[in-house]
Amino acid sequence: MKTLPILGQSRQPEGACSERPLWRSLEELERGASRAGGEFPPGAAEPPAELSRRNFVQLLGASAALAGLAACQPPRDKIIPQVRSPRGGLPGQAYHYATALALDGYATGLVVTSHEGRPTKVEGNPAHPASLGASGAFEQAALLDLYDPLRLEGFRRRGQALAWRTLLAEISKLAAAHDADGGARLRFLLAPDASPLQADLRRRVQARFPAVRFHFFAPLAEDSAREGSRIAFGRVLDARPRLDQAAAILSLDADFLAGPGESLRLTRDFARRREPGASMNRLYVAEPSLTITGGAADHRFRMKGSEVLGFARAVAGLVGAVPASPGDPAPTRQAKAVADDLLRNRGRSLVLAGPRQPAAVHALAHAMNAALGNAGATVVYTAPVLPEAPAGPAVLEALARDVEAGQVDTLVVTAWNPVYAAPAGLDLGAALSKVPNAIYLAAREDETSRRASWVLAASHPFECWGDGRSRDGTVALQQPLTAPLRESTSAVDLLAAFVDQGDKGAYQHLKTFWKGRAGADLDLLWDRWLQQGVVPGTAEPAVQAPVRADAVLAAVRAAPAPAPGLEAAFAPDSRVLDGRFAGNAWLQELADPVTKITWDNAACLSPATAKRLGLENGRRVSLALRGRTVEAAVWIVPGHADDSVTLPLGYGRAVEGPIGRGVGFDAYRLRHAAAPWFDAGLALAPATGTHAFATTQGHFTMEGRPLALDFTAAEWKRSAHELEEQRGTSDTIQEPVDYSKQDYKWGMAIDLSRCTGCSACVVACQEENNIPVVGKEQVAKGRIMQWIRVDRYFAGKPEEPEVISQPVACVHCEAAPCEYVCPVNATVHSDEGLNEMVYNRCVGTRYCSNNCPYKVRRFNFFEYRGRLAPTEKMLMNPDVTVRSRGVMEKCTYCVQRIERARIDARVAGGKIESVQSACQQACPAEAIVFGNLNDPKSRVSRLHGDARRYDLLHELGTRPRTAYLARIKNPNPDLA
Amino acid sequence: MTPPATAAARTDALEQAPLIVGTPTDRVLNDELLDHVWNPKRGWKILFGIALAGTGLLLTGVTVTLARGIGMWGNNIPVAWAYDIINFVWWIGIGHAGTLISAILLLFQQKWRTSINRFAEAMTLFAVMQAGLFPLIHLGRPWFAFWLFPSPATLGLWPNFKSPLIWDVFAVSTYLTVSFLFWYLGLIPDLAALRDASRSKAQRIAYGIFALGWRGSARHYQHYRIGYLILAALSTPLVLSVHSIVSFDFAVSQLPGWHTTIFPPYFVAGAVFSGFAMVMTLMIPARKFLGFERVVTERHLENMAKVMLVTGLMVSYGYLMEHFIAWYSGNAYEAFVFSNRANGPYRAIYFAMLFCNVVVPQAFWWRKARTNIAWLFIASLLVNVGMWTERFIIIVTSLHRDYLPSSWGMYAPTWVDWSIFTGTLCFFSLLFLLFLRFVPAVAVTEVKELRHELAHAHAGGKEAAH
Repeated sequence: MKTLPILGQSRQPEGACSERPLWRSLEELERGASRAGGEFPPGAAEPPAELSRRNFVQLLGASAALAGLAACQPPRDKIIPQVRSPRGGLPGQAYHYATALALDGYATGLVVTSHEGRPTKVEGNPAHPASLGASGAFEQAALLDLYDPLRLEGFRRRGQALAWRTLLAEISKLAAAHDADGGARLRFLLAPDASPLQADLRRRVQARFPAVRFHFFAPLAEDSAREGSRIAFGRVLDARPRLDQAAAILSLDADFLAGPGESLRLTRDFARRREPGASMNRLYVAEPSLTITGGAADHRFRMKGSEVLGFARAVAGLVGAVPASPGDPAPTRQAKAVADDLLRNRGRSLVLAGPRQPAAVHALAHAMNAALGNAGATVVYTAPVLPEAPAGPAVLEALARDVEAGQVDTLVVTAWNPVYAAPAGLDLGAALSKVPNAIYLAAREDETSRRASWVLAASHPFECWGDGRSRDGTVALQQPLTAPLRESTSAVDLLAAFVDQGDKGAYQHLKTFWKGRAGADLDLLWDRWLQQGVVPGTAEPAVQAPVRADAVLAAVRAAPAPAPGLEAAFAPDSRVLDGRFAGNAWLQELADPVTKITWDNAACLSPATAKRLGLENGRRVSLALRGRTVEAAVWIVPGHADDSVTLPLGYGRAVEGPIGRGVGFDAYRLRHAAAPWFDAGLALAPATGTHAFATTQGHFTMEGRPLALDFTAAEWKRSAHELEEQRGTSDTIQEPVDYSKQDYKWGMAIDLSRCTGCSACVVACQEENNIPVVGKEQVAKGRIMQWIRVDRYFAGKPEEPEVISQPVACVHCEAAPCEYVCPVNATVHSDEGLNEMVYNRCVGTRYCSNNCPYKVRRFNFFEYRGRLAPTEKMLMNPDVTVRSRGVMEKCTYCVQRIERARIDARVAGGKIESVQSACQQACPAEAIVFGNLNDPKSRVSRLHGDARRYDLLHELGTRPRTAYLARIKNPNPDLA
Repeated sequence: MTPPATAAARTDALEQAPLIVGTPTDRVLNDELLDHVWNPKRGWKILFGIALAGTGLLLTGVTVTLARGIGMWGNNIPVAWAYDIINFVWWIGIGHAGTLISAILLLFQQKWRTSINRFAEAMTLFAVMQAGLFPLIHLGRPWFAFWLFPSPATLGLWPNFKSPLIWDVFAVSTYLTVSFLFWYLGLIPDLAALRDASRSKAQRIAYGIFALGWRGSARHYQHYRIGYLILAALSTPLVLSVHSIVSFDFAVSQLPGWHTTIFPPYFVAGAVFSGFAMVMTLMIPARKFLGFERVVTERHLENMAKVMLVTGLMVSYGYLMEHFIAWYSGNAYEAFVFSNRANGPYRAIYFAMLFCNVVVPQAFWWRKARTNIAWLFIASLLVNVGMWTERFIIIVTSLHRDYLPSSWGMYAPTWVDWSIFTGTLCFFSLLFLLFLRFVPAVAVTEVKELRHELAHAHAGGKEAAH
């Protein structure tokens, strides 16, 4: 079993001596074997000849100064006793620690790289079921939040600063005041969380205050899914798809390849069945707006969100899940074809319903899966890991009513920014300010912190102990990477404070709690859990649950028919999610996977609707719904459903730092609690002016050029040979360099069949390679710095487009056009075939970029790293140069990782066995593969020899080292 | 003595206008042609003030660029070169007329070059100075510009001799050096004349220093002639090489729209075209205000118009062949670039280019157009504009939409781009005004020689007729 180090521990755990707990790269972790001991690169370990008097005095002075610093802020928890470094610990040596990060309540296991105590890179934990080694953009970008210079610091009550001890004493006093009536006037508004520790603390709070009430709120809560399960099974169950088993998948507005939760694992399972052959799956998606999942679909049926139910009902009738009713419209050709395909794949098909869809659709999906024999095969049902209480916007309305009725004296809020995310028409801020003691735990100043009487700075998840569960129930321990950079606390400590245990520290709580679970063995198990990052055997078992078809039918019949007219469709945003990442510059600058818009959200609509309403891209419009009006700018999205306007949530923040304030429009102001996802009756009127969007891509057709190639499975059988023209040697007057004698010949393969365009690679690369954020104005000018981009092309009709994503970074041409034009030899070739960029030699003529046919070079037009906050400096990867103004840069194939692996291999006396580039490591679809082309057994070598392999712009003779694998789609011949 | 010279000029070359109007004596020529040095014209100070203010604009633009970075310009990815290189190529091109007039026409013994060569050489020099500024300031890190020169550093790092930018460095610096020497050598006898006619001791000393002790002896003239011819021979290949090498910046790349073998001759023709236009633009007002009508006659202007017609036709041929080859090669990327020029977002600039460079010079088929001073002036301005737009079209439209449509972009200049461009125009004017103020704008010595030659030729012709 793979093991990871435990922070601050210098001793190997008992029984793990042979397992080698310390490992220095993820490759070692992958191998699970250790050859290198506490060795280090040659020359690095030579001690100074003698400790001179001068050195000694310097060290003495430094220690004294540092000792004084430490005295300023005594640590509350002993988590970083780095006074003595861990055994084998070396300055300059990166360490990797397993931890977990919960998003919308579901934890994803991570491995975080730490340099000298500074976490610098987030990776997925291969041992964790929700990650499998991959990580998404949100997980990656969470690191930036850790170092956010605008994070809150300390604790304030009505503007007055409180020390930690005082805070605990005050909360204790406050809690004691609630003892009298059993906590009847004490309320908690919490983010839904699957943490067993927090559940235990809630029980203990409840034990002390029997009348206390816990409310849960998350803007993207999946209440309708729970309700659907209640209809179908009579109880709440989580449907957990097993895409590795599914041959035909119908997604009813389920964007299962994106977002928090399980998307990383689902993407992997889905992508593994996208290679041509008998095992290839087929995906049907019925959805209003084009999503990542819709882009990956073989057939996409665009329809208004409210029309999905009718489609689902038609399919359900055809597969025999519910009896057809006399008044039903005749099923469409599409529904028939889908139903036939699902029936052909009995037990190997799968119907998924998206969280935006009403309960009836979820119930129908359950009924269909039961009728198709998929239950237990391609979908398993488990007890939910999140609290069962509803957590949607309606919760806030009820809470506000209680506040208005004067029933709440103390309200503890750990849910993210409920004032901002409150449904339209509810002034939760006003209600909050009426609560005598509104205690808000927040990482950053926001709309809610302005109205709460107590504001407590929240620690980042990488700063505090905790635990969490993934959707399948597996527990992961949240291990801190660093002491809190700012005076702050966590939800665990805050809950504990209400049982007078706030000073115990989350670590003690966690350990005590798990001791209660694991018994005396904990000390042995604990270290193993921390090393592996998961608590084994905690997954929820699958349960059998019969579907109550009559209840499903009743629910479907009771569901309202879709209303005509323009429909508002609210959607989680691909970058800021529900708005919590609005202050995260990496995510703000990440292009939306579909529209390629950065630093904005847009009211998205279809080309036909835009034409009907006389709108063009960027046109400002006023959106009116249920008497409320919001002004937004429109963006035309090919493939969007007609008469539907998608309004991404999370923008238009009024109280945010300079990153997120005033970016986009606030769709929450139109979102009603009764219709949180789809709302008919939207009125759209053109307003004056246009809005300038900053997109990373302005042209979405391939102009008939062979760039991102795709074939249908049928075409592929016939015309696989067409790719011969796009690969192989090309005529040249120059003798190609022979790299076959080298130990290594680095290369990459990108499988377009697998890529969904999720853009996790972009953020991973930004994080790994110290890539600066340039801001909206610079993006609009075409100066984005990201080294890897995901090109998105549309083909076919704008109404029903074919969508294809193509990640493009430097392809490391063997005959690189950039190299011969550089006047100062600042970009040269290594003997292993890397196209290297010598930053300190570059004078910035930009000729290389002009001559790059792939336009992957990025130029520092300004000093983009001008003024770094002290915490932002801590973010930098010390293995990668921070580039200055006037210098060209581009993808290096993560040369620092190659060199690190080379050092390790040399120390071990062997050859590099595997290196992963940052993009590859993040990619949940395993679409990016990097490695040694001179090793015939390597995966990248196999892919370079694949029948689908082709070279981008092959005819130019650049001989790129990055090969692409053509995308194969698997459309249903019945729908041709 | 005077009437025969006029007659000789009149019968010369199909009754063209004379090269020298009237029959001035050496003294009259001396007085007339040096007058602008001794008696500055009214308005010089005003023009100088305007040019100085404009030079301030250049300094502002350059300072902002150096302080903040290239980001102050409109350049981006994919259009990483824009005004910087457009202006560089444009100014270098303008410089070509000087060398052509001085060197090639000298070697071909074209007498009409005499009155305008000094003027054109000065223009060359100043234009190349403007041009040289751009490669320097367009660097991301201009403080390391010396890395482009082969310097024996201890690291043993040399420039990349495969890069056309390095060839540029050699070509342009050679060109600047030779142009300067040529101009200065030609100036020596006139500087001596100025020294001799000085009205104050300071002037006498200053001009004396620069005249390098010229006394006008036969030996001096012999050495001077040989030196002048040698420099002419040296700079003749430069006329062809400099702009050929500048064109390699584009032709050597693989970018559709740049990667074209026709570029070297096409660039040279364009350079001469724009250079003559600029000489005309400067000469027409200077001739009027400085009173050079006697020595810079209609004949000169007409000849320049003819050269413009010829080079304009060459440039038009270049355009035609570019488009033809783009179609004939069957290369879809190249075909797209050329159709994008006419149909894309920059088509207005493209058609302005065609109008200025292809249509306007056609007027010069007619003698009336060649001798109409006002039309010549307007046409020369239009050609200047046209050649600038040509460089814009070549650089920006090729870059902004290349191979991968995903990385297509647009370019728009910023105020800094405009400041630097107009600033170089003003700095150029400033240098030119200084030149007009302190140095004879017409090669007086050569004009006097020409007058004698013409007189002798006439005398000889009369004897033969008898």
